[in-house]
Amino acid sequence: MDEYAIGVLTSIGLLTFVAASAYLLLIAGELSFGQQAFFGVGAYAAGIATAMFGLPLPLAILAAMLLGGLAAALVGLPALRLRGLYFAMATLAAAEMLRILFELFHWQVQVGGEAVGPDGTQGFRGIRWVFERGVEPLGFLGIVWALLAGVVLLFILVERSRLGTTIRALGEDPELAGALGVDVLRLKLGVVAAAGALAALGGALFAHHNTYIEPRNFDIMLGVHTLAYALIGGLGTVFGPLLGVALDLGLLEGTRVFQGYRMIVFGGLVALLLIWRPRGLLDERMVHWLRTRR
Amino acid sequence: MRRVAFVALLVSQAAFAQKTDARLDCKHTGKDFIYDCVIRLARAGEPLTGAQVTVGADMPSMPMAHQVKPVKAKPTKTLGEYRARLDLEMGGEWAVKLRLSDPVRDQLVLHYEFDERGARPVKRSAKSPRK
Repeated sequence: MDEYAIGVLTSIGLLTFVAASAYLLLIAGELSFGQQAFFGVGAYAAGIATAMFGLPLPLAILAAMLLGGLAAALVGLPALRLRGLYFAMATLAAAEMLRILFELFHWQVQVGGEAVGPDGTQGFRGIRWVFERGVEPLGFLGIVWALLAGVVLLFILVERSRLGTTIRALGEDPELAGALGVDVLRLKLGVVAAAGALAALGGALFAHHNTYIEPRNFDIMLGVHTLAYALIGGLGTVFGPLLGVALDLGLLEGTRVFQGYRMIVFGGLVALLLIWRPRGLLDERMVHWLRTRR
Repeated sequence: MRRVAFVALLVSQAAFAQKTDARLDCKHTGKDFIYDCVIRLARAGEPLTGAQVTVGADMPSMPMAHQVKPVKAKPTKTLGEYRARLDLEMGGEWAVKLRLSDPVRDQLVLHYEFDERGARPVKRSAKSPRK
C-alpha cells in the first residue's frame, strides 16, 4: 500500500472517532458543534502522558479518555439545561473556550535536554512515543482500525441492548421517555461523557500520529465537519459516520476529482442531503430495509 | 552481550536526542498552488547527506482533511540539500511534514504560509493568544 493511501485510511479512521461521538449525541437528540474540544483534550492529555511523563501509550489513551469524558460531563452539566439550537451554541462556545485555554497553556519539562510540552500558540512538539518505538505508518493504521473496530462493536452491542433503545427513545421524544421513567438528564449526561471520551480517544491517536499538535487543530472547522460526517453518513447505524468520513476523505479528497473545489462540493452535498435525506444516507429506514432483505 | 545491548541502546538514544534542523525555501511555479521547494537539512551543524526524505503537508485549521500526496525529495548537488515539488490544494498556512529515513529516522513538522509569492515561516506570538 502506498504512503498516501495509508495516510488517507489513517485519517478516515481518526476522524471517524470524533464523527462517531457527534453521532452518539445526535441519536440522543442533541446537536453538538463542540466535539473537537474533547478531541483536543484527548490529544493534549495523551501527549503530556507519553512525551512529558514517559507513560506507555495504552495508559495515556485511558487517561485521555477519562479526561475527555470528564471535560464533556463538565460542559454537559450546564449545557443540558438548554435545548436544541441553544445546546448547540453552548457546545460551540465551550469548545472555543477550551481552544483559547489551549492557547494559554504553557507547561514544559526538560526531556533529553529539550523542552517538551504545550507551549501555547506555538503548539506541542515531540509527541514521539509511536515514532520512537519504530511503529511504521502501516502498523499505526492497524492500531487505529483495530481500536475503531472495537468501538464499532461496542456501538452495535449497545444499540441492540435496552440501553441503546432507551437512548434512541430519548432522542425521538425526551418528554415521553421521561414519562416512561427514564432519568432524562442523567442518561443524557452519560451520553455526553461517553461521546467526550470517544472523541478524546481519537485525539490521543491523532497526537501520536502527527507528533505535533496545536490549538488551531481543534478549531470550529473540525467540529462542523465531524457533525456533517455523521449527518451525511446517516443516523441509523454507527457505520453512518464512517460512511460520511469515507465519502469526504476517501472519495472527494482521495480521488482529487474536484481539486480546489472540494469544499464547495462538500457543502453542496450536505445541503442536498439535509433536504433529500435529513437523517443521512444510512438512516433508520434504510437500515431497517437492509436488515429485512437479509 | 548485555554490554553490547546497553551500548546499542545508548547509541540509539543519542541518535534520537540529536536534533535535525530543517529549512524550507519554496518558489511558486506560476501554476495554481504548485511550489518548487528546496529543503536544507543539518544535524549538529553538519549538512545531512544521503537521507531519504518524504514531504507531505496538512492544514492546521482542518487537520487530516486536506492531505497532500507525499512526494520523495531528491538530493541536489549541494550537500544537505533536497528538492521536492509540492502540489497544495489551496494557499494559506500549511504544516509541512518531513519524514526522514535512512541513515537517520526522524519526523519534522514545519509551519509555512504559502501564497503566490512563495512560502514564509509562520511567526506566532509566544505568549498572547491569537486575536
